[in-house]
Amino acid sequence: MPFNQKLQKFNAKINTVTIGSGDKTVTIGGDSTFPFYTFDAPSENTPKIGVEISDMGLENVVSEGIKAYYEGASTIGEMAKKAAAMEGADFVALILEGGDPNGVNKSVDELIAVVKEVADAIDAPLVVEGCKNVEKDAELLPKVAEALQGRNVLILSEKEENYKAIGAAAGLAYDQIVGAESAVDINLAKQLNVVTTQLGVNPQKIVMNIGSAAAGYGYEYVVSTMDRIKGAALSQNDNMLQMPIITPVSAETWGVKEATASEADMPEWGPEEERGIDMEVMTAAADLAAGSDAVILRHPEAVAAVSRLIKALA
Amino acid sequence: MTLFESVFAGNDAVYGLTEGAINQAIEQYGADKAVSFPDTAYALPCYYAVTGVKVTTLAELKEALGVVKTLMTREKRTHDVFMSGVATALCAEFIEVLKYIDGAAPYEEPCYGHLADAVIRELGVPLVTGDIPGVAVILGKAKDAEEAAALVKSYQAQGILVTLVGDIIDQLAEVGYKTGANVRVIPLGKDVTAVIHVVSVALRAALIFGNVKPGDAATLMEYTMKRVPAFVNAFAPLNDVIVACGAGAIALGFPVITNQADVARVPKSLICQTDVSKWNATSLEARDIKIKITNIDIPVAFASAFEGEIIRRKDMRVEFDGSRVDCAELVHTCDASEVEDHKITVVGPEVDEMADGSKNSIAYVVKVAGKNMQPDFEPVIERKFHNYINCIEGVYHTGQRDMQRIRISHAAFDAGFRIKHIGEVLYAQVKNEFDAVVDKCEVVIYTDPAECTRIRHEVAIPIFEKRDDRLANLTDESVDVYYSCILCQAFSPSHVCVVTPERLGLCGAVSWLDAKATNELDPNGPCQVITKERPIDENLGAYEDVDEAVKKFSQGALEHVTLYSIMQDPMTSCGCFECICGIEPFSNGVVIANREYAGMTPLGMTFSEMASMTGGGVQTPGFMGHGKHFIASKKFMKAEGGIERIVWMPKELKDFIADRLNASAKDLYGIDNFTDMIGDETIATDPETLVTFLTEKGHPALGLDPMM
Repeated sequence: MPFNQKLQKFNAKINTVTIGSGDKTVTIGGDSTFPFYTFDAPSENTPKIGVEISDMGLENVVSEGIKAYYEGASTIGEMAKKAAAMEGADFVALILEGGDPNGVNKSVDELIAVVKEVADAIDAPLVVEGCKNVEKDAELLPKVAEALQGRNVLILSEKEENYKAIGAAAGLAYDQIVGAESAVDINLAKQLNVVTTQLGVNPQKIVMNIGSAAAGYGYEYVVSTMDRIKGAALSQNDNMLQMPIITPVSAETWGVKEATASEADMPEWGPEEERGIDMEVMTAAADLAAGSDAVILRHPEAVAAVSRLIKALA
Repeated sequence: MTLFESVFAGNDAVYGLTEGAINQAIEQYGADKAVSFPDTAYALPCYYAVTGVKVTTLAELKEALGVVKTLMTREKRTHDVFMSGVATALCAEFIEVLKYIDGAAPYEEPCYGHLADAVIRELGVPLVTGDIPGVAVILGKAKDAEEAAALVKSYQAQGILVTLVGDIIDQLAEVGYKTGANVRVIPLGKDVTAVIHVVSVALRAALIFGNVKPGDAATLMEYTMKRVPAFVNAFAPLNDVIVACGAGAIALGFPVITNQADVARVPKSLICQTDVSKWNATSLEARDIKIKITNIDIPVAFASAFEGEIIRRKDMRVEFDGSRVDCAELVHTCDASEVEDHKITVVGPEVDEMADGSKNSIAYVVKVAGKNMQPDFEPVIERKFHNYINCIEGVYHTGQRDMQRIRISHAAFDAGFRIKHIGEVLYAQVKNEFDAVVDKCEVVIYTDPAECTRIRHEVAIPIFEKRDDRLANLTDESVDVYYSCILCQAFSPSHVCVVTPERLGLCGAVSWLDAKATNELDPNGPCQVITKERPIDENLGAYEDVDEAVKKFSQGALEHVTLYSIMQDPMTSCGCFECICGIEPFSNGVVIANREYAGMTPLGMTFSEMASMTGGGVQTPGFMGHGKHFIASKKFMKAEGGIERIVWMPKELKDFIADRLNASAKDLYGIDNFTDMIGDETIATDPETLVTFLTEKGHPALGLDPMM
């Protein structure tokens, strides 16, 4: 009996969101199939990869490969240029980890200067990630949105605790793209989208970060949450869950013991550099297979590998 | 003069002035002369927002004036008054823009005049977040500089943005009052037409933050009404021009408060308050502005860290004990006019006047008022008192209703803590946590023993009884809606609880009233309304509405759920169930096990083993998770015959539920002492012994049809 392929058709699709301005933009979302189900319909926009750099430069970077890649870059602007030029990179993600009040606690002005330097150095699409502290981000990210007027950047992230300040500044006052971050729970993700749109933010200008984990670290929750979000968005046409998903990967993977334990301590695990890359690649691959429309990575080899994976599957 | 005549006269006067000014400007500069405000992309922002047309030259301005004229209809209807108000405002904008011809800088320190787009983007964010809770527009001249300063300061202290027009600017300067955008007090200008610069802010906010299309006047006014929390304070005497401007403000949804005694009043919009010191409270109430309380004014710390703190007798300065003397705690819903916000009264002695180590009476009544407040929320708020009072450092609280016990430690007393501070805490917490329903809150604390006796017996107890009656009479049939609860979906993704008055959540923690309050307080939260308009089978408790809701909230994992059957489409369970009920085939009955019971049941399964079949949002006919209080409900597996199917439960659970279960069995079947017929682990943990026992007792389940 011949094989009769039955196409899985949905009358709904993920929103299309374009990040960046001018000639260099990147577009995510737009599909009406499950991830990589290209046999049901060709993909509108294949998943995209962002390269993450930090306001702290290479200070907290352990990987020799990452350090080597940025060798010679003496300023954050030069780092940004190298990140944008990385093979397989679609956009640059600047994380402002130095702003954390429990860490270095850089001032907002200091961080805005970094943001401007990066923005001036590159014309690639830009994603700016806050310091993860909700109070500080509520103060910092509106200023970032203001400083980058006209660049159409993605601001990561507003959370339930600070969505008003960040949603209003990024989404309304300065017309950027709002990244809505929740903690691996479909209902919380949806609720944040609902309240953000109630502020008046255009749903077409929202990208979700539904939360993540490194593979092996309670990661099943991430898979089932993404799976259910894509399911609700497509099969139930739930327009409060049709925002594309972006997942910062490296911030999770480079801190786990599989990436940090030295080879001297764990000889049977092999070289730590390889393990770090593997963790990044594995987690990113799983995120993409579960439904992420974009991932944020650091290591040039991981970026290259995930880029090949996307080309092969999509 | 009537309000109509006043507004029309004022409008006509301003129109005349505007026409003259435009004609004169054309004569002086020529019709092609450019007109614009500095630093805005919205041309003449008010005219552009209302009509969608950008005016750029004097000729266009003259044309625009013709459009304004069409708004100035003169029939005596409210619509005509509002439109004339809008026309007056637009004329004011035209007059103001003429001042800026040739890049002139018509305003000088401290006045701002026109505000740039950048200022609006910056102010817009705190307005949206509520960090700026409101915008006051103060117009005219106060009685004296002190009165002016006091009024402005009262708003400033609340974070409200203050804009000033007219002589009050000079009055503030006279006493050296600091003004400027950085302190959120913005003098606009001394002519009354300068008021347009704040209107311009409101309308540009609608365009920028509300995505309102220029020219869509209806949406524009809806936005300013709903989203821009502005109000006007106008000092007497009012002339026709000010009244006409006021009509424009009212058209945008901004109430006007004045001390002009003979003004024609319009409920909720044009309010006369002759006592200027009350303008702040009157304005906030009229505009429905709620001020966030960030700092509770008490001499000790307030934090959840102190919640578990226990005050021993030797550390105790005084105690209040409802089990020995008359005490009560009560939330009482009142009319807004009966509540004075943040008023805290102590009736009777303070702690200083009580003997060290003594036992005393206390009764506190928290009077609340709010448009969305319902008496059903009273117990929900009251239940939080325990938590609020316990979070005070050096104060501890147990119990509730008229059985509460409070101790205040020596340390807290020495730090200055007094009875009135309990009022401060209750006020602040109720206002903060229940701001969706509570607009105003007042606390009266009685320590006078006779008053406490009166409050307890004449006020509190009758209210408690009324509430208990309501709860007892609350049936699934007597309400119009049920509620969903998906609080547990984080770990049980396809489970949805349907909460009804007679079937509380299976965790035992969410009653129908709780779900209702949760929905009101957090409209996008876990509890959503489920209608019950389309019954499929009332006996099963099957509704199309319920099925639709369950399908939606489970993201399609569940299609049908019945409320009253354990066999057909039983309600799913997350895993938090207090009890599990499972079918026992030998007796045609069911066995219930509670979480605390670790032993064996006649089903040959322990609670944990039953749980593994019941949780996780799956439907297993014959098994059902539920709350303890559901056992005595007349809706308990009603489709299969109800509670007479219960043949076994652990002794502890049986004792806990006995009174209510017996009462329900008496009502439903006329059986006395039904629980005596139910087996427990002291009687049987295997089905044979159980059936022998049931036969002996003549348990009704044995005579019922088999369940499968």
